[in-house]
Amino acid sequence: MTDDRSASTVTTTCGYCGVGCRLEAHTLDGGIASISPALDGPANEGHTCLKGRFAHRFARHRERLTTPLIREERRGPLRPASWDEAIERIAAELTRIRSAHGHDAIAGLASSRATNEDCYAMQRLMRAAIGTNNIDNCSRVCHSPTSYAMRKALGLSGATGSFSDFDHADAAILIGANPTDAHPVAGARIKQATLRGMRLVTIDPRRIELSDYGVLHLAPRPGTNAAVMLGIAHVLERDGFVDRDFVAARTEGFDELAALLPAYAPEAVEAISGVPAADVERAARIYGEAQEACVSWGLGVTEHKYGSEVVQLICNVALMTGKIGRRGSALLPLRGQNNVQGSSDMGALPDTFTGYQSVGDEQVARRFEAVYGRPIPREKGLTIPQMFDAAVAGELKAMYIFGEDVAQTDPDTAHVVHALESLEFLVCQDIFETETTKYADVILPASSFLEKSGTFTNAERRIQLVAPAIEPPGDAKTDFEIIKLVSAALGHELPWETPADAMVEIAALTPDFAGVTHARLGRGGLQWPVAADGADAPILYEQEFTRPGGKAHFAALPYKVPGDAADEEFPLILVTGRRLQHYNAGTMTRRTGNVELLDADVLEIHPDDAARLWISEGDRISVRSRVGRIELPAHVTDRIEPGHVFTTFHFPETRTNLLVGASADVNTSCPEYKVVAVDVRPLGEEPARVPALA
Amino acid sequence: MSAPALTVTVDGAAVEVPAGATVLDAARAAGRWVPTLCFDERQAPFGACRACLVGVEGAPAPLPACTTPCRDGMAIDTEDPAGRRVANAVVELVLSELPQAPGPDTELARVARRLGVGAPRWPGEQHAPEPADARHPYLAFQHELCISCGRCVRACDEVQGTFALTATGRGFHANVVAGLDEGFRASACVSCGACADTCPTDAITEVSLLALTATGSTNGGPS
Repeated sequence: MTDDRSASTVTTTCGYCGVGCRLEAHTLDGGIASISPALDGPANEGHTCLKGRFAHRFARHRERLTTPLIREERRGPLRPASWDEAIERIAAELTRIRSAHGHDAIAGLASSRATNEDCYAMQRLMRAAIGTNNIDNCSRVCHSPTSYAMRKALGLSGATGSFSDFDHADAAILIGANPTDAHPVAGARIKQATLRGMRLVTIDPRRIELSDYGVLHLAPRPGTNAAVMLGIAHVLERDGFVDRDFVAARTEGFDELAALLPAYAPEAVEAISGVPAADVERAARIYGEAQEACVSWGLGVTEHKYGSEVVQLICNVALMTGKIGRRGSALLPLRGQNNVQGSSDMGALPDTFTGYQSVGDEQVARRFEAVYGRPIPREKGLTIPQMFDAAVAGELKAMYIFGEDVAQTDPDTAHVVHALESLEFLVCQDIFETETTKYADVILPASSFLEKSGTFTNAERRIQLVAPAIEPPGDAKTDFEIIKLVSAALGHELPWETPADAMVEIAALTPDFAGVTHARLGRGGLQWPVAADGADAPILYEQEFTRPGGKAHFAALPYKVPGDAADEEFPLILVTGRRLQHYNAGTMTRRTGNVELLDADVLEIHPDDAARLWISEGDRISVRSRVGRIELPAHVTDRIEPGHVFTTFHFPETRTNLLVGASADVNTSCPEYKVVAVDVRPLGEEPARVPALA
Repeated sequence: MSAPALTVTVDGAAVEVPAGATVLDAARAAGRWVPTLCFDERQAPFGACRACLVGVEGAPAPLPACTTPCRDGMAIDTEDPAGRRVANAVVELVLSELPQAPGPDTELARVARRLGVGAPRWPGEQHAPEPADARHPYLAFQHELCISCGRCVRACDEVQGTFALTATGRGFHANVVAGLDEGFRASACVSCGACADTCPTDAITEVSLLALTATGSTNGGPS
């Protein structure tokens, strides 16, 4: 739609999920009149979903933060303050805490919702202005296992291809993802590919919408993905689908994997996962027989105790069949948030600078120190869960949380709240008051994606421009401006006028971003690594892998039992996820017409379980785990397997994450949101025992 | 293994197009305008509206540009008088059924303006105006503005893959409905808005744009 009803039209990049739709934002009288998809958007090709297209009213919602807010005393009332007062307070408190307790008593969180330049500025603030590596971002709780595993197996932390690879694939495996809800435009693309004949295998405890379009659906017990991937690898090896030339020339470690595979015959996998042996065989054959095939996964793979290992097992399957580094044969993690990829690329991580350069690498650290003019510690900082543990232990005294509602979205809510209450000082920078800002001493009013400039990097490693369509409301400022103000008040001036200037510094310090400039990104963006001459990389590993010796690495990792399991007291397994109409904590979508389409979290339960528990459609029920208890309505559906229940965390009144315990990925501490043993019963029915709350 | 290119001439200028390109692709590649109503580049060519008729050397009658594949050496005349006469008549007939002129920013109004089609001269039946169906928070039907181009139905099928919209009725009563004519909310609709995005007349539009949609009170043709 070309629409002349608007005063002006700005082309930008969607700030919801990781697909990275390019949007045309049409404005009128200082607000958004309408949003339509850009026809030339590489990831969306003229399409978008109800979030990107319609859910923009939050930007002018009356609850937007429009002025800094301050609490005189911890948990006292909030009062409006000037920017000067708020920034002075932050500088004074952080300086005091640093003097009294050391640099590492302070931690910061950058946001996967913010731009690359915002995240880069935030990590520079923490490293140079504060002097700590205690910087992390919310990819910790979603795709850090993907990043870890892909770096280990292949070299780079990112998809090996693009969404358009589905258009060229003969088959695809989709595991632990529900794209028609969570990544709707990628979901639509996959669905269209199946309608044209792509053979889709879905692997998920729930029968997702795309299962109806695929040729095979596997429903493993939550936490048994590893067994299924090993079973598929077993059949591929046994039935001669291994590309021996590829394995010999371009990989290492296959023999170790091969030695492990005999233990994962389809019958053994059936015993572990509940997936019929014949279906494991069929899935392997569909993938093996395809000339070109993609594997795509989401948080149903990563948010497990052994999530990072399963991602490595997925890489194994692509490597043993040589289905990588070609058009139509790609490994495509579906990144949850608009800038999950970028926030980590930008070094908002406790162990790496930009482009995953290690903080412990002396040469790298010196380069950063030379540019920042400040000493930077060589020791890794704290991850998000470690920050909360340190706060509860009294070692961490202050946090600066930017664009993340940890008290609603992080696991073990009671523990998170305890941590926030234990801090001496908390700064929140957000666009609305959230569950987390309840514990803040200073709240800084920030800007939404419609109000800022910079870049987002989508799930295809594609760096795309973000352009402001409207102004931040009231006295709110862009995140970039705010971080600059705070850093300057701490005595470390960030030397950039605009986000484009920051990108020049990023490019200079980051080999994978060497050729990136805002001017070069243009309308279609660039897929990193970007060489100094501006050449980008839509397909990775065509010739060699980005590892020592250029060879990919097979991981010989056996199946291990998940961190939580159903037992007599907690007989059902809860899986959490996202629905089409809402986005994560719902901070934005709950303040749009989307609530008319869906206004509450519900618990999906299979008719057999519901009948046994005397639960009917719409009944309010109690859901209790080892660490917490919530109440919500039931939705009886056979989309979910017996023994499992499913819900979302979109509405703060539900507080779903009270249920999720401390179990986390062994390598990256990404929480095990996907396997929580629970007891479900109609409300009013007394539980057999009162749980001990943490 | 790129397909061999074809060379065609559009209004006297040679242009190279890939094999499989349509006459419309060639015209656009040559920078020439061809009127279209049922065409959307995101969808497979449909060939229903006949607004894109062009002259092709050797063809006995004008051909629809959107569905005619190029042949090597083809000579195309985008302003073929017979083709343009048909296109003008098509647009004028379409306009004559509407109870009011389409909003000036709609694709139909822009095509009519560019072709120089004014107020329709046909005295035939017009659709009765009805209140917009705005039961959905974002998507509204204005059924009387539907010209049965089928773009919304194909957007729902070919772009989104939800199959929530259906063409109904025949002849003058042809229209489009969600599900079994139960409105967007009760249908399988996933609210992606691809239908509103492609609609050339605002028969499906955004609820928030209804107030902004300037329409004439009588069918005086696009302004």
